[in-house]
Amino acid sequence: MDYAKENSIIEKMQPEFKDASFRVVKERRIEVKLPSERLYDFAVRMQKRWNFLHLSAISCVDWIEDGEFELVYHFWNYDEKVLVMAKIRIPREETSHFDTLSNLWQPAKFFERDIHEMFGIYFDGSEDMERYILTDWNGPPPMRKDFITREFALNFYKYREYEPQWLKDMMAAGEGNE
Amino acid sequence: MSKKEEVRDYEIFIGPNHPGIEGNFSLKLKLLGDKIISAKTDAGYLHRGFEKLMEERLFIQNIAIVCRICVPDPDPNENNYARAIEEIAGIEVPERAKWIRTLVLELSRLASHLFTIGGHAATTGLYALPNWTVADRDRILELFEELTGGRVYHIYQLPGGVRRDFPDGFGKRVLEVMDYIESRLGDYDDLAINNALFIKRATGIGVLTKEQAISWGVTGPDLRACGVASDVRKDDPYEVYDKLDFEIPTQTEGDAYARMIVRRREMEQSISIVRQIIDKIPSGPVWNKIPNPLKWKVPAGDAYVRTESSKGEFAYYMVSDGGRKPYRVHVRGASTTQGVHVLENLLVGSRIEDASQVMFSLDACPPEVDR
Amino acid sequence: MGEKMTQRSVWEKIAAKLSKRSLWMLHYCTGCGAIELPPTMTARFDMERFGIGHMVTPRQADILLITGYLSVKTLKRVVLTYEQMQSPKYVVGFGSCTINGGMYWNSYSTMKKLDQYIPVETYIAGCMPRPEAIIASFNALIDKIDRGEANSWKDYYKNYDFYKENQDRVFEGPIETYNDIKADAALFKI
Repeated sequence: MDYAKENSIIEKMQPEFKDASFRVVKERRIEVKLPSERLYDFAVRMQKRWNFLHLSAISCVDWIEDGEFELVYHFWNYDEKVLVMAKIRIPREETSHFDTLSNLWQPAKFFERDIHEMFGIYFDGSEDMERYILTDWNGPPPMRKDFITREFALNFYKYREYEPQWLKDMMAAGEGNE
Repeated sequence: MSKKEEVRDYEIFIGPNHPGIEGNFSLKLKLLGDKIISAKTDAGYLHRGFEKLMEERLFIQNIAIVCRICVPDPDPNENNYARAIEEIAGIEVPERAKWIRTLVLELSRLASHLFTIGGHAATTGLYALPNWTVADRDRILELFEELTGGRVYHIYQLPGGVRRDFPDGFGKRVLEVMDYIESRLGDYDDLAINNALFIKRATGIGVLTKEQAISWGVTGPDLRACGVASDVRKDDPYEVYDKLDFEIPTQTEGDAYARMIVRRREMEQSISIVRQIIDKIPSGPVWNKIPNPLKWKVPAGDAYVRTESSKGEFAYYMVSDGGRKPYRVHVRGASTTQGVHVLENLLVGSRIEDASQVMFSLDACPPEVDR
Repeated sequence: MGEKMTQRSVWEKIAAKLSKRSLWMLHYCTGCGAIELPPTMTARFDMERFGIGHMVTPRQADILLITGYLSVKTLKRVVLTYEQMQSPKYVVGFGSCTINGGMYWNSYSTMKKLDQYIPVETYIAGCMPRPEAIIASFNALIDKIDRGEANSWKDYYKNYDFYKENQDRVFEGPIETYNDIKADAALFKI
């Protein structure tokens, strides 16, 4: 298929970001992989020059085997109707740090607070990094891959006793456990 | 001789146990007299840890829990989940299944708008309208029960199609219900929407300008009430929306009354879409079977899918690493922008008696914020 | 949970017959089951014909309906609300999440067994229960009040240490309660 609109957008962005790799995934979707220090410049040009006014979401993925967090920023353009996913990688530590985008886009405030309490990444320069959803939580950041929620729930909460014979037979035969 | 009194501000909580709050949510307000000078929202009462639960279950097991993320409007969740897997794994969906999915989405949008219109009128004291709209919404829930087996949570849209086909005579019953609801729209107008008292209560409340709405990330009917004609069904079409003929209603004032008008006119558009679907639906199979669902592996990749739910833009970002369970699913609810920071900004400067109406007219649904 | 009262005075029997037809349900939507409450309260499955209306303040309510799961943050507020209600009071557990965790059985933030924290009178099975099931369970509760067996509120006073130990364990520290449970218990001679 001929992605004329998406390719013309990439041609506008490529000259200033020669160390980024652009790819057209399918109709109306473009993927960009950037080094992490260039993200702020990219975001400023997205908003002020190339008219991508809507920040749809900021997602975080925990690649525990690579030892990195991946942050994905989703930008949408109301006129051209194209979505750009900008992906960066930062090292995985006890408390990782990254720059904030909340002075450019207001929706970023909620997503950054959410990522802070779920993954433990601190966004420097943000006005409000307090906890929002997990206000009484004292454990580790729950969305990290080394936190197993099943073990935690089985140890922390008390369950109702329910051991009928058919369940005991099934567990003895080794089934019923995923 | 008047004694100079010191006027101080005070703080109140509109806590989770309150009929003026939609769902389980709380607000901390600072007041001077009866004007609000600062507001903070407090969510997290409905947190279940969905994104973590989805990582510990197989792909086919997640379909049962994914619809519980948004309670009044559960079908966009199932649609997003199914389409994300289809995009990563490259599965084709039969044509009839796409038409049935669009029908289910539009019926769910009608039911949710009926609920919201009633709730909005109830905050101004007009309690007759929710009694009517909730009872009429029950007819749509009966249609869902006949088609899928459940009134509220359907578990109907799978990756590869839908679970089963229409029962006999279903199309005729859908058209009867649509005729009934269309005849009631005139009654709702006479009772609430053209009611002089309601107009006086609702104009000028919670005003959003066009620039504020775009820069604060507002989507859905709240954005269309400010004058921006943007809808995911037209901009980023999915299922069969590019083959259907419908309009996008907009208003320009951006206050609570304009949002009510936009929702009312969207209901008319939904009724016309449902009639077109029943008229033009092709025949054929409804499901491309997944081979051996308990041992099914999805290849590595990622996808970002968006739907237009009744509250705004609803999106899922799914990452798969080639295994039997999803690696990461990020849910972007429509109320993450409207229910949190936009609500805080709009409450400053309004009065305490309008706080409840601002929240209901923005349609901020707490389960989407908390997941 | 309901002990049979073998000897009730005539006045208590008359009081039971009058109070069973005038119960007030607290309007608190704690979980996802609350979406089936508006159909139950409005014109189609009218709940008001049994005398059950909805009430906004816990001080004047009789029934506390826990609709679905409870996260730990909400459980704190539910315990405070329960202690503010005046006795005799009845808790109805709605849905399978109050019985054994439901479909969030491996979640880190929802509680699994409601019985540990406040005493429960009846349960309604389902996910989620239909409005007819809600009305059937309210009728069962009305019959229980009539026979004099709906006494789980006394269990809270008798076994307060058991409930308080479970609450403190899951909240990771004692919470401030503003009601004096021991004085209330003395009032009812328990």
